[in-house]
Amino acid sequence: MKAVCWMGKSKLETLNVPDPQILNPHDAIIKITRTAICGSDLHLFDGFIPTMEAGDILGHEFMGVVEEVGSGVTNLKQGDRVVVPFTIACGNCQFCKKKIWAACDNTNPNAHLMEAAYGYSGSGLFGYSHMMGGYAGGQAQYARVPFANVGPLKIDSDLPDEKVLFLSDIFPTGYMAAENAQIQEGDTVAVWGCGPVGQFAIASAFMLGAGQVIAIDRLPERLELARSMGAVSVDFSHEDTSVLTALKDLTGGIGPDSCIDAVGLESHSSDLQGVYDKVKNALLLETDRPSVLRQAIQAVRKGGTLSIPGVYGGMLDKVPFGAAFGKGITMKMGQTNMHTYMKPLLERIEKGQIDPSYIISHRISLDEAPAMYEVWRDKKENVTKIVIDPWLDKAA
Amino acid sequence: MSLLTKKPDLEKRTRGATVTLDGRYLPPPEDKDGKVWVRTSAIIQADAHDLYTLWRDLEAVPHWQEQITRVIKTGDRTSHWVMQKDDKTIEWDAEILADEPGKRIAWRSTGGDLEQAGEVVFEPASTGRGTMVTLLQEFKQSKIGLAWESLTDRNPKQGVIENLRHFKALAETGEIPRTQGQPHGPRGTIGDVKSSAYGETVPVPAGTRRAS
Repeated sequence: MKAVCWMGKSKLETLNVPDPQILNPHDAIIKITRTAICGSDLHLFDGFIPTMEAGDILGHEFMGVVEEVGSGVTNLKQGDRVVVPFTIACGNCQFCKKKIWAACDNTNPNAHLMEAAYGYSGSGLFGYSHMMGGYAGGQAQYARVPFANVGPLKIDSDLPDEKVLFLSDIFPTGYMAAENAQIQEGDTVAVWGCGPVGQFAIASAFMLGAGQVIAIDRLPERLELARSMGAVSVDFSHEDTSVLTALKDLTGGIGPDSCIDAVGLESHSSDLQGVYDKVKNALLLETDRPSVLRQAIQAVRKGGTLSIPGVYGGMLDKVPFGAAFGKGITMKMGQTNMHTYMKPLLERIEKGQIDPSYIISHRISLDEAPAMYEVWRDKKENVTKIVIDPWLDKAA
Repeated sequence: MSLLTKKPDLEKRTRGATVTLDGRYLPPPEDKDGKVWVRTSAIIQADAHDLYTLWRDLEAVPHWQEQITRVIKTGDRTSHWVMQKDDKTIEWDAEILADEPGKRIAWRSTGGDLEQAGEVVFEPASTGRGTMVTLLQEFKQSKIGLAWESLTDRNPKQGVIENLRHFKALAETGEIPRTQGQPHGPRGTIGDVKSSAYGETVPVPAGTRRAS
């Protein structure tokens, strides 16, 4: 089959590799019909996530048709249409039983690597480094899905792939970000980063009762999408715009009730701190560039909530923890507990409350994917979301 | 030098796998030259008796312990173990020293290529939280030997930790998670070396149920 392989930092290749096989009783093999490139895939492309190795198959947002199931899978059969969550969960450990699916104890075969880095291991993820399981990803024509008795969401209706594909990660991730923001009716919510997760966080914040949502980014096409969902946009690339001042102006001087950092470890800053972080990254004194996190801690109102769906990987420098403490803020974060949100969000799509395909800007083939990672990284061609048809025969 | 000649015998230690004594936390034993210990624990969502039964089924051990290819029962409390490390076959005899159904098993080797002893304790965790399983294992091995094995193969201490992890996964889900055998692109020489360093080249035990 064809698959997008990580061959080193900033180096991807679409290669022919063997088809996946059933290896465990609860495995399923999925013939992938649609897959996507995630903003977090750029952290891999740019070499920020350790334990990526040459030959790793990328991709964690995919859906398809069940081709084959292992002996322990009784809830799925050949021909079923499914969306696959990017986190792999066993359903039986104490964390799954508490619905903290992303903390599953039993799905990371390389748990000891993550224990060394983070103290304890979270669940395995598709296509996201050896530390996080080393599972082959879904930017391919087929994928092996472990614990298929627990994860994949069956799509019984005839909704097109593009409307349900984002249940694999970014829609639940944006929704959980809004839920983690502990929004009360009428609250003001500020969202940094209007990429796909930010867009779904904005839409979800309104669903959960926000009175005002403020969208912060520097790319006009993203800010326009945010405005189309009802948000007020703040373009931080304008020389005369200070985000902190804007947030005070828009909240009567008290700051947003909740802040959502949908950017994560590769944030961009036009300030001196942006240069500072890049220098420290280069000297290996810091692994992440947390300028949004710093700003969000500063911006959130007293007793407010900071929700962080943006990915952080390692060590952060100059985080204003005194401000966090001084204002008594709550911070909630982490990988998405996918399995909790997929079904209720599918129901919202079925009822017509949201059509997540509004963020798609590009539809490509697997062969075109390596070049499109660069477009995605550099935010060229007004890119907002790239979807791959793995069976489309179109050369790069 | 007495340590190097003294056979491991965990049963003679007063504390065994116990983590607390009279309300005080007991740290795990420190390694000495010639003898190393590892203590590890897991909360498992299963009944203590079922877990005891799974552990006590010695001939099924190759399903969940790394590099153990065969265990043959030679008596009520005795058994013969075969381990395969790459092209090296290691064999030893073992006996069970203590056997308390649903609570505890202690064992030691009685002869052969490997000298080790161990104890596993099953205790009900706080209400509704399953069973706390604590494992203490002791090996007769020099620190140099340990360092060498860490470089060339699975460090035996890590092996014990992984075995309890496999046991938990098997008990909770009926399988052991794996990626061996999945597709990938060319790894190159560095990729192969790192795969070994990550422990990905140690064969993952099959679990009790085979894939279809």
